[in-house]
Amino acid sequence: MASNSVADKIDWKGGNPPFQAKYGKLMMWYFLVSDAFTFTSFLVAYGMIRFSSDYWPDPNNVFNAFPFLEGVKVPLGFVSLMTFILILSSVFVVRAVQEGHRNNKNGVLLWLGLGILGGIAFLGCQAWEWSHMHHEGLWFDSNSLMIDSETGETYYPHDLEHAAAGIGNLVKAPVSFTNLFFFITGFHGLHVFSGIILNIIAWVNTAKGTYQRKKDYGMIEKMGLYWHFVDLVWVFVFLCFYLL
Amino acid sequence: MAHELTEEEYKSQVAGVWKATIWLTVITIIEVGIALVWYYNFEDKLPRIMLNILMIVASILKAFFIVGEFMHLKYEKRALALSILVPLVLFIWGIIAFLIEGDHIRTLRDIFGGG
Repeated sequence: MASNSVADKIDWKGGNPPFQAKYGKLMMWYFLVSDAFTFTSFLVAYGMIRFSSDYWPDPNNVFNAFPFLEGVKVPLGFVSLMTFILILSSVFVVRAVQEGHRNNKNGVLLWLGLGILGGIAFLGCQAWEWSHMHHEGLWFDSNSLMIDSETGETYYPHDLEHAAAGIGNLVKAPVSFTNLFFFITGFHGLHVFSGIILNIIAWVNTAKGTYQRKKDYGMIEKMGLYWHFVDLVWVFVFLCFYLL
Repeated sequence: MAHELTEEEYKSQVAGVWKATIWLTVITIIEVGIALVWYYNFEDKLPRIMLNILMIVASILKAFFIVGEFMHLKYEKRALALSILVPLVLFIWGIIAFLIEGDHIRTLRDIFGGG
């Protein structure tokens, strides 16, 4: 906090702390800047490959399955739910950080616990989506999607059995699409996974009273920054793969 | 961080977070709603770039709420915020340069054939 005037709480050794922020928090921020460059490189590579391809699958046709609704098409429905779960999980963690500022141990345990559950729910959703797409023949270096070269309408193989009439000239969708999709959402999922592990460690430390004794919940704040960053990256992954 | 919040500061911070939550939810619902309305009604009638610009603006707005409110950057020292945000200007160059390059590769492929 900007109004922190107690010099002994600040762990920089050379006098005044830069930006009046603690060392760990500042370094977390700069780590996130570097991670933002990594993710942006991937998404820019995605954009470049997409721009260099003649055809690209239409996300409204690719992401239209919903659990327990066999045969019903819900374009973008499931991924919207995933996005909402991740946003909520992020909100829960902000609440945990705020309770930490008040040295309220039970508040931190409650909200951080909810945040962890949200993260696990998100990963579960992603596992369902991946396995669904894998069953349809989409995986690294394999893409069963067919694209109507006139309209851009995209079909799974089983869609073609039903709707043979009125379909124009079909071309195979590029494998770059599946390679990029599984690599980038996978790399994001790995971040979610490591975030869950780190949050669980912070939760256990909170329960043991480690932060209460120090009267310093800075660790929750640092984990919170990482967790929100993962949410932030998802906003742009969602944009690039599902909306554009 | 060791400094105790007054009850009022705490309440206004909590209210700020829930407000940001509502914004994020509403923006996401609007994004998906517009994507679907577009897909069912305007797919062949209007240029796609209009939809894309709208989606990009909405995403940047969401990023603003996440970074400013959730990550608390709005309330940090200005110099700290600048030291984080200014390097990201490189992204603008990166995105433009590589998209143009990708388009150029497609043109070359169309002319000379191959992959």
